[in-house]
Amino acid sequence: MSSEPQRPGSREVHDYTEEYGYHSDQRSLRRDPPRVSNQNQPQFDWISPHEEEDEEGSSGPPRDLRATPLPMALKRAIRQVQQMQVPVVSSRDSWKRKNAKSLRKLKDCGMGFLSFFSLWSKTLQKIGGNFGGGVQSYFLFLRFLVVLNFVSFLLIAGFVLVPSIVFRSVGAALVNSTGQEACMVYDPNPEGLVVFYNYFLDLLSGTGFMEYSYLFYGYYNNTMVEDKNISYNIPLAYLFTAVFYFVFCLICIIARMGTAARVVVATGSSTVGDYSMIVFTSWDYGCLGDRATKLKQKNIHYQLQVDLEEESIKKRAAALTLSQKIVLYSLRVSMCFVSYGLIIAAFYGIFAATEFSQVKSGQGGILGLFFEYLPSIVITAGNFVVPLLCDQIALIERYSPSTTVIVALLRAVFLRLVSLGVLLFTLWRQITCEGAENTGECKLCQYNHLLYPCWETRVGQEMYKLTLFDFLINIAVLVLVEFPRRMVVDNWSNKLSQWVGRQEFEVPANVLGLVYGQTVVWTGALFCPLLPLINTLKFILLFYFKKITLFHNCRPALKTFRSTTSTFFFLVVLLFGLGLGTVVMIYSLSEIRPSMGCGPFRFFPSMWSIVPTSFNNLSIITQDFLFFIGSQSFSIPLFALSCVVMCYVVALASVYGKSVALLRAQIKLEGRDKQFLVKQIEMLSRRQQILKQTAGASS
Amino acid sequence: MGNKQTTFTDEQLEAFQDCTFFTRKEILRLHGRYRELAPHLVPLDFTNRPDIRVPPTLIVSMPELKENPFRDRIVGTFSEDGLGNMSFNDFVDMFSAFCETSPRELKTVYAFKIYDFNRDSFICKEDLQKTLTKLTKGDLSPEEVSLVCDKSLEEADLDGDHKLSFSDFENMISKAPDFLSNFHIRI
Repeated sequence: MSSEPQRPGSREVHDYTEEYGYHSDQRSLRRDPPRVSNQNQPQFDWISPHEEEDEEGSSGPPRDLRATPLPMALKRAIRQVQQMQVPVVSSRDSWKRKNAKSLRKLKDCGMGFLSFFSLWSKTLQKIGGNFGGGVQSYFLFLRFLVVLNFVSFLLIAGFVLVPSIVFRSVGAALVNSTGQEACMVYDPNPEGLVVFYNYFLDLLSGTGFMEYSYLFYGYYNNTMVEDKNISYNIPLAYLFTAVFYFVFCLICIIARMGTAARVVVATGSSTVGDYSMIVFTSWDYGCLGDRATKLKQKNIHYQLQVDLEEESIKKRAAALTLSQKIVLYSLRVSMCFVSYGLIIAAFYGIFAATEFSQVKSGQGGILGLFFEYLPSIVITAGNFVVPLLCDQIALIERYSPSTTVIVALLRAVFLRLVSLGVLLFTLWRQITCEGAENTGECKLCQYNHLLYPCWETRVGQEMYKLTLFDFLINIAVLVLVEFPRRMVVDNWSNKLSQWVGRQEFEVPANVLGLVYGQTVVWTGALFCPLLPLINTLKFILLFYFKKITLFHNCRPALKTFRSTTSTFFFLVVLLFGLGLGTVVMIYSLSEIRPSMGCGPFRFFPSMWSIVPTSFNNLSIITQDFLFFIGSQSFSIPLFALSCVVMCYVVALASVYGKSVALLRAQIKLEGRDKQFLVKQIEMLSRRQQILKQTAGASS
Repeated sequence: MGNKQTTFTDEQLEAFQDCTFFTRKEILRLHGRYRELAPHLVPLDFTNRPDIRVPPTLIVSMPELKENPFRDRIVGTFSEDGLGNMSFNDFVDMFSAFCETSPRELKTVYAFKIYDFNRDSFICKEDLQKTLTKLTKGDLSPEEVSLVCDKSLEEADLDGDHKLSFSDFENMISKAPDFLSNFHIRI
């Protein structure tokens, strides 16, 4: 083997494989030399050009050694060589190296410590190994929501709940009563003896003993505590905590989207198709268990078949005649109308149910409970029935399989989120007398004080009921549908049960359920401060229940769900939900008059108006500073600066895109150059051989 | 820190920590797993660097590798003699390359070696066909296998020589979002 010429500055890994490309034998791919210097000249030469680039200390040899594709014995030999070089290298470099090494050890220790705290990591590993990345991404998403809700609860508890409890009996009212006497009538406590089962009904619907408690908005007081050392303005704290809660959730979601987005952007504009990726990257090496691997194989087979089928569909679609195309498109348009008609019918049903429920509120007993829960029941029924019908419609539309999945998902998302919006719209209509606040029953207090003496608590109760009902339905489906289905399929072996088969874990439908639950919490957090805590408990219990049903009742889905792009999609849908919650919050803060009988904002014209009032209590310097930030002389330069930064980032991104395209073209050229040179070498060697033969023959 | 173990000298453990992505505890645990495969062959004490090789039939019986269709290729790639007899160094190397913190470039190099059945540092059509057959365990018909292989080559081959060199492979892998999470063995 001749020694390779040194190529300083080229990528080490690429170097290594190029060398092995030219020098590998059939016998063995790697050898185990006792010492580096004698046998493996190329590897030893490989390390020295890299040593010249040792100016960047922290990304130098110690880190690269782990990531080099060399056998262990070689790596240890190189490490020995490096260590022997330490006295030769300057003291500053060796200090840098030692620093980098200890920093790395510290980081590893820190990661180990943190992973101790990460919830359920062993469970998630097991799920991923047995059911694949798609199902695991659902459980990762659920864990993210649990942590988000818990941290938000800590925020709310720290700034609103605990001060309220502590300062309950002290503190002066912020603003004295200025409104009408009739508006301030609010008596949530039940009178006299209450039948025992009423407690249970009250627990489920948030009325009775639960209504006038820390759970709902109405219990918090309009107090401000001022002492020698501390002053705490509870209404202001309530407002700012609610706003900050939304901002905090937004930041968390965007931070989490960042990592997912990077992958999506990097692989997004790819000209490489699916086949090569399926063949080389679809096998999950972490797959455990005999059954799981067989299913994984079926899965890959199914994927390939789906891709082949999509190809043939595309070919057929391209070969359609004009009249057939017209028929197909008109069919699609009409089916679209049908599906939207279904969705609108569902919305009307929710609207009617909510109005009916509000009219009939106040009835006791089981019937009263039924009327209370009527909106939730209709929403859940709609969310269950309409997507089924939409799936059938999508089949008629004859899209390609991947498009069908996306279309069905988008319709289901639309249905779920907007149905919640319809419920809220109905409530708004009744609270503000259909927007005309100076007519009819709303004339006295600018809200319907007869129907809703404390409308915020009422809205909070609706959201509480939705959350609870969603949870109960999940459990009920588990117990009444999934377990019996498995028992029937396992114990009865006839044609029908074989055809029905075991439950599949449907990732998209389950994720939409999570997004819906979280959106309800966001909408209701302003009116029911303990709702994040309830949601944390609900999601924790849901995790365990879903895990149990996954392992006992489900078989892995035949259709895959790409785990990395799907995480991004889940977070985008979650952002829609956050948007809906934000709209509700902003509208309630600024447009509707707070109830005069309850809550920390009574006697204020709107919830937001406490901010200007408290603003005047700040010191002059702070006021001037805040005015300056809001003034033109600060915001216009800030805006200009952010425009400049954005232009820079966009330019950088386009430059990177162009250089990627250039490098790709360069790879092609180099390949052709290689082929050309190899042909030249062959020609030259043949000519040499011919010359030798003729010289030998002639002599 | 519990330095009561006598399996490795401290210097050996330092070397392992520098050359792989494992911590002390994990290396000792790996030694336990390695020893489980052949307790009469593998000594408890590695301080004097015994030259022990475990045959491939025992290594592929590990639960993490048992069901993997490429287990023979994996073991062959990481062993020194190319036949699958793995020393402890090779064993640790293998799991280090597959672990979660190992970088994409390293995994790409080893993936290429695993899929290169005839070891000519190119993935040609026969290599692809063998890969696909192992993946789907004969569920696809021969025409479908051929069609998929042709399409894959068409997509990934940039320099037009009807086989995949390492740069073609690397370019294609960089577009695959699931590669890092799939090319990962949990130990």
